Amino acid sequence: MELVKEEFVTEEMGARELVIEEISRNHKLLHRHKFDKASINIGRDYHNDIIIADPHICPSHISIDFINEQWQITDNQSVNGTFVENPKEKKREANQHIVRDGDVITLGKSQLRLLFSDHAVEPTVAFSPFESFINFLRNPIALFISIACFTLVAGSIIYFNKPIEVNFSQLLVPAIGMALGFSLWPAGVALISHLTKHDARLMAQLGVSFALFNLMWFSDILKTIVTFNSSSNNILPIFVTLTSIILAFSLFWLNSYIGFHMSSKRRLVVSTSLTVLLFGGSYLIQYSKKPEFDPRPHYNASIMMPSFLLTKSSKVDEFIKDSSKLFDRTKKEALTE
Amino acid sequence: MTNALTVAQWNGNFLVGIWMKAFFTLVFVLLSSSSFATEQAEQLFNQLKPSLYQIKLIDKASGEKSSIGSGFQISKDGIIATNYHVISSYALHPKKYRIEYFDSDGNTGLLALQSVDVINDLALVKREVDPVSSDDITFFQLSSAAPHKGEKLFSLGNPHDLGMIVVPGTYNGLKKESFNQRIHFTGSINSGMSGGPVVNKQAEVVGINVATSGNSIGFLVPHDKLVSLYQTFLQAPPESIEHQMTAQLTANQNKLMTAVLNSPWQAKALGNHGVIPIIDVPFIRCWGDSNADKTDALILTAVANCSLDENTYLSSRFFTSTMDIEFRYMQAKDIGANKFYHLYQQQIAHAGSGNRAGKNNVTQYQCHHDLVMPDNQMINNKSVFCTRAYKKFPDLFDVLYLSASIDKNKQALVSHFTIAGINQENALAFTRKFMEAVSWN
Repeated sequence: MELVKEEFVTEEMGARELVIEEISRNHKLLHRHKFDKASINIGRDYHNDIIIADPHICPSHISIDFINEQWQITDNQSVNGTFVENPKEKKREANQHIVRDGDVITLGKSQLRLLFSDHAVEPTVAFSPFESFINFLRNPIALFISIACFTLVAGSIIYFNKPIEVNFSQLLVPAIGMALGFSLWPAGVALISHLTKHDARLMAQLGVSFALFNLMWFSDILKTIVTFNSSSNNILPIFVTLTSIILAFSLFWLNSYIGFHMSSKRRLVVSTSLTVLLFGGSYLIQYSKKPEFDPRPHYNASIMMPSFLLTKSSKVDEFIKDSSKLFDRTKKEALTE
Repeated sequence: MTNALTVAQWNGNFLVGIWMKAFFTLVFVLLSSSSFATEQAEQLFNQLKPSLYQIKLIDKASGEKSSIGSGFQISKDGIIATNYHVISSYALHPKKYRIEYFDSDGNTGLLALQSVDVINDLALVKREVDPVSSDDITFFQLSSAAPHKGEKLFSLGNPHDLGMIVVPGTYNGLKKESFNQRIHFTGSINSGMSGGPVVNKQAEVVGINVATSGNSIGFLVPHDKLVSLYQTFLQAPPESIEHQMTAQLTANQNKLMTAVLNSPWQAKALGNHGVIPIIDVPFIRCWGDSNADKTDALILTAVANCSLDENTYLSSRFFTSTMDIEFRYMQAKDIGANKFYHLYQQQIAHAGSGNRAGKNNVTQYQCHHDLVMPDNQMINNKSVFCTRAYKKFPDLFDVLYLSASIDKNKQALVSHFTIAGINQENALAFTRKFMEAVSWN
């Protein structure tokens, strides 16, 4: 047992490998090289092991050599120098530097990350239940149904609110226009994830977004039904308003889940900020448009056809009693101003 | 006032007919009578001129006049009568303005506000009188009786700051169907003449210029309103003009609402199945309209609108004592219930107040809404009640009520009213009665 272990250790030491990653300025991976030799040359000319087409890099810029069980950087008197950075330390000259796992070296305007083959990797991310949900929604049939459903609802809303007679094509054109308009959001997210070197996954973005848009229509209808059936004393409509906030948050969360690899904490922050931006922004716009004094009353007179009537009506006495409270409230307001 | 205008046009046509028939006779009669009137007017004017004043409201900060009107002295000690609306800015913002007079001799001086009657648009101001020379001060005598129909009257005043003038005209009785009496005077009254006296041939005041509706139709406040204001003032001058105004507004709405609530409310059909109340009082007049002629309309709409044909002026941006009632019957033609209700909701989404009022006068509206079914269970409504309070006149409110039926798939009945300057008790009593009077048949 002892012997076997000894041999294993020696072998591991002798075969020490170095992984060199070419990374972008914001530390995104561009290329990855793995070396199993004692000397690695990096520079601009074609003799090098890693050839970097950066004009600020010398033809033979540096070499990294495996000496005394350690990797050491040698700067070949390059014009612009070589610097090393580590999350724990400040930037400094890289000549004669003994490489540690995770060091980032800067040559000219390019950056390389140096990793040992025993560098610990993140634990495996299991497929979340969202994955199967997203896969279901990105299915062309499901996607078609979502978009068709969206267009249908948009068309019927246009139909219901037009005070004049309309024909089918007069509804179809704006409804399709609306669907196209709304598809700009998932398309935009897909484009951004493509530009940031992530997988675009356009179909998944479209599928998830339209499914949530449809849920938002549904929550809108639900809200109208609840407001129609409740008096101003009822606080239920406020809870229904919360569902639309939750839906918007879910949309942003799923968009970032599909489009970008980020930590769950960061995803939470991003989707919360987008939700706050959307609702807070629209509130601010409303608030800024609000005149200092409005001679018109603001009341909620949402009405729906009788089949949506679910609650029992109040009596005139109750209505008069509730209305009488307004007199004291406005009188108090008149006195305080 | 639309009615008044139509009457004027009809009279005009009638006059043309006479003209054709008896040209020469008429020319003679008209000429002689007008020359006689001119002579009489001139004599009266010269006699009354020393007691006539132009009333100016001067904005203290700019030193310029902000409004002008006329006034006339009615007592030896310098009490001058004018319209409330001439000095309304001072009554509401006494720190911002001062009141000045300008008499026929070109003298000017300060006036002090003594008492007002906002309902009848009257005000009493006082000029400092030198007690030594007060013996030869002339002043207007108030008539003891109302004029008879057709009597020749003379209106005095200073229109558009052009100088004092006299306008002959005719007394045509009290304005029909008015809640607060006004004299219908046929003669040109123009702005600036407000507050000027109207006298009979004996130079006694029978009315005060107050409003015009164009085409020689003028309105006067009857002299007895001034008599009672002056008498009350002599007995007990008001402690504060604001309190006096509050009391007058409160009393007026009480009088109005008592009349409205105690009058018969007649049930009347609107559209095919709607039943609405028509309040049977002469001062509330109703008009109607429908889109029955529009064949392409998706919804048949019939509207009945009843309103009080007058209001109380408090300032140029604040009117009160208005009352508007509107009923709307709607029936879907070729559309489904869902679409009908969408369009119906658009119709009721933007009800506004019936009177003009600003930030300094009232609070913002606060509203309550609920589903309401009256005890007779004849109709089920979505009802909204909104109110705003007056800032200067405690316990007075503007109220707005809107109710939309929600129990028929393709028919709807909207009932709506606004009342300005009402107290809580009357507002709620009216609302209750109104809610129970609207139904389906």
